[in-house]
Amino acid sequence: MTRDEVLSKVREHLAEELEIDAEAIAESSRFKEDLDADSLDLYELVMELEDTYGIAVSEEQAAKISTVGEAVDFVLERAPA
Amino acid sequence: MASRPTVALDGFGAEQGFGVLADGARMAAADGIRVRVFGPRDELALDRVDGVEVVPTSEWIGNEEDAVAAVRAKKDASVVRAAADVAEGRAAAMVSPGSTGATMAAATFGLRRLKGVQRPALAVQLPVPGKRVLFLDVGANVEVRAQHLVQFAFLGVAFSEAVLGVMGPRVGLLSVGEEAGKGRPEVVEARATLAEATGIDFVGNVEGSDLPAGAADVVVTDGFTGNVALKLMEGTAKTVTGAIRDAARSNPLAALGGLLMRPALGGLRRELHPDTTGGAILLGLRGVAVVGHGSAGAEGIANAVRLAARCAEVDAVGRTAALLSEAGAGRAALAAGRDGSGAA
Repeated sequence: MTRDEVLSKVREHLAEELEIDAEAIAESSRFKEDLDADSLDLYELVMELEDTYGIAVSEEQAAKISTVGEAVDFVLERAPA
Repeated sequence: MASRPTVALDGFGAEQGFGVLADGARMAAADGIRVRVFGPRDELALDRVDGVEVVPTSEWIGNEEDAVAAVRAKKDASVVRAAADVAEGRAAAMVSPGSTGATMAAATFGLRRLKGVQRPALAVQLPVPGKRVLFLDVGANVEVRAQHLVQFAFLGVAFSEAVLGVMGPRVGLLSVGEEAGKGRPEVVEARATLAEATGIDFVGNVEGSDLPAGAADVVVTDGFTGNVALKLMEGTAKTVTGAIRDAARSNPLAALGGLLMRPALGGLRRELHPDTTGGAILLGLRGVAVVGHGSAGAEGIANAVRLAARCAEVDAVGRTAALLSEAGAGRAALAAGRDGSGAA
């Protein structure tokens, strides 16, 4: 699993759910401020990542993820190789 | 005759116990609805009932638990499995009389939101005699933005038409006055957007006293206000009907009058009773989820299952999605409208 693959998955999910252009989603994009995502949007992203990559994300860990890049980092650090 | 849908019923959470829930499942099944009950097989004692299947489940989520965390952690909880039953196509709709928060979380995460829907809303048919008033949100969203209120209006219209049979329903926005500038900023902004919206008969602001008067067929508000207003109406109705009953027993003459009025009052009492409407429905999801009353009797459980089945039969979800799309009330369209660059 490469960084590009995870980033692509995150962008694809957010583009679908938030009805925005995937090209407008960068690693530096902040969920709340830049993408207008709310807590429900983030929970759905976290659950999608848990199901896709077989990882577990606690409430505390989820609350600390504020950008697209941080979500990608989180997956890469914990997903089984 | 087409077969009726299958409904997944959370077998835990009915305050009156497993026996009452089982009776409700039996009554719904007698109407031809297939019911899959997620709960303890022995306590439910439904093994030989036609149309009812018990899916043995021992885990559940209580009112005292953090709903979102519990739904994520307890994959085998009855309400989570009921939602999965719908998501995986074994059932057409789900019902739970248990924790409202857990039901909303399980349904929202399990069924997912319709494309373009930002926040699902909890809607109820108000206990107003002779009228079909849909009221939302009654508890899913304590804080809302203007665009959420706008979407609630469209969700309410779609449900009112599809399930309640009220075509072209009049939509009101609950506020503290009829004038356009009255209310919190998000209410004022939502009113302006709804006034320009197409595909909806918006009648403007309505006040609390307009709710039981039926001034609008669909009344929209935030979940905090809606929940307070709903409980106030239910409590008032219960107190008033109790006071009428006591007055009718106060002396022999009143008792005679009460006896003569009994058939009419009995019908009124049924109309005002929360069990009659079956509970609240979570609108804006890709599947049907009904939140039954925790205190429901067997008739209330059965009516919640009937409501869920009816929503599935009339394709309430598909019709809601179509209306949101036709009216340009999806997330992107509303955001564009808010920025002044698109239609609302």
